[in-house]
Amino acid sequence: MSVRVLVRTFSELCLTIGTLIVLFVVYVLFWTGVKADGAMDSQIEQLQSEWAQGSVPAGDGAKPGDGVKPGDGAKPGDGAKPGDDAKPGGSGDTESSPPAPAAYEDGKPFAVMYIPRFGFTWNKPVLEGTKTDTLKKGLGHYASTAQLGQRGNFSVAGHRRTYGDPFKDFPELRPGDPVVLTDGTTWFTYRIVNKPYKTLPTDIGVIDPVPRKSGLDGPGRYLTLTTCEPEWGHSHRLIVWAYLDATQPVEEGKPEALRS
Amino acid sequence: MYGWIWRHLPGNTWLKALLSLALVVGFVFLLFQYVFPWAEPLLPFNDVTVNEGMGAGSVSGPTGVAR
Repeated sequence: MSVRVLVRTFSELCLTIGTLIVLFVVYVLFWTGVKADGAMDSQIEQLQSEWAQGSVPAGDGAKPGDGVKPGDGAKPGDGAKPGDDAKPGGSGDTESSPPAPAAYEDGKPFAVMYIPRFGFTWNKPVLEGTKTDTLKKGLGHYASTAQLGQRGNFSVAGHRRTYGDPFKDFPELRPGDPVVLTDGTTWFTYRIVNKPYKTLPTDIGVIDPVPRKSGLDGPGRYLTLTTCEPEWGHSHRLIVWAYLDATQPVEEGKPEALRS
Repeated sequence: MYGWIWRHLPGNTWLKALLSLALVVGFVFLLFQYVFPWAEPLLPFNDVTVNEGMGAGSVSGPTGVAR
């Protein structure tokens, strides 16, 4: 085997590896976004068609009423009330009042989130669970935390980079910014209370029912958003907290925060 | 390596070029469909959660949620 062959093979190997790296960068920066956008759109479509058919898990709407006031009798949103869940989903049970909506199904979308600070076209599906595959299709609800609009801390994680960059502008969030969610029957408007708070991944207290570092006091209906920090790293997390400011049935149209 | 492949492709130059192109496209497809999705979670961009539901006291490293 001559030197020429060795040198040529080595060069070809280097070229191949370089091409592979470039392709991988293209995949991570571009292709994951393309795939995620498609997946998120289809999740939202799926939700909207479910809502159009009226197969929404009935029974919110009524209770949260006035946001943060503690002690108005609604149960914490653990969703496990046997009586409610026994009904097969989608049987159109509009009869009043199961206090908690049926438990969310893992990996399935159940709500759409709007954050005007990220742009008025920004909307993402919220799926149950924070598995890797789930987070590729939208934002992920920490399964151990309260349900949307319920007492406790409704906590959601999302990618800051890759997979559609849903939380790319996370550091731009400011106190008073609205975070609006809908589950098909009710609009929930949360108000952010802090500038993004940087913490360690092990700081699980941030998604406690009453997150102690948020300045929020006493039990209430809260929301927590988490994403990674720094932008391309995983050494820390960024956190914002919010409290439930207002709710209104979807029939009354979009909430104030989404009109502009 | 590439020379070896070129010499072993059948046909005239045009056919060889066509086959090479097909090989490249197939290779890239395999990468995007199988290899990269496998490799991507090894990068840190996926860790957006705080450790939760991992049971009491299991405070793991910066990898966050196990995957």
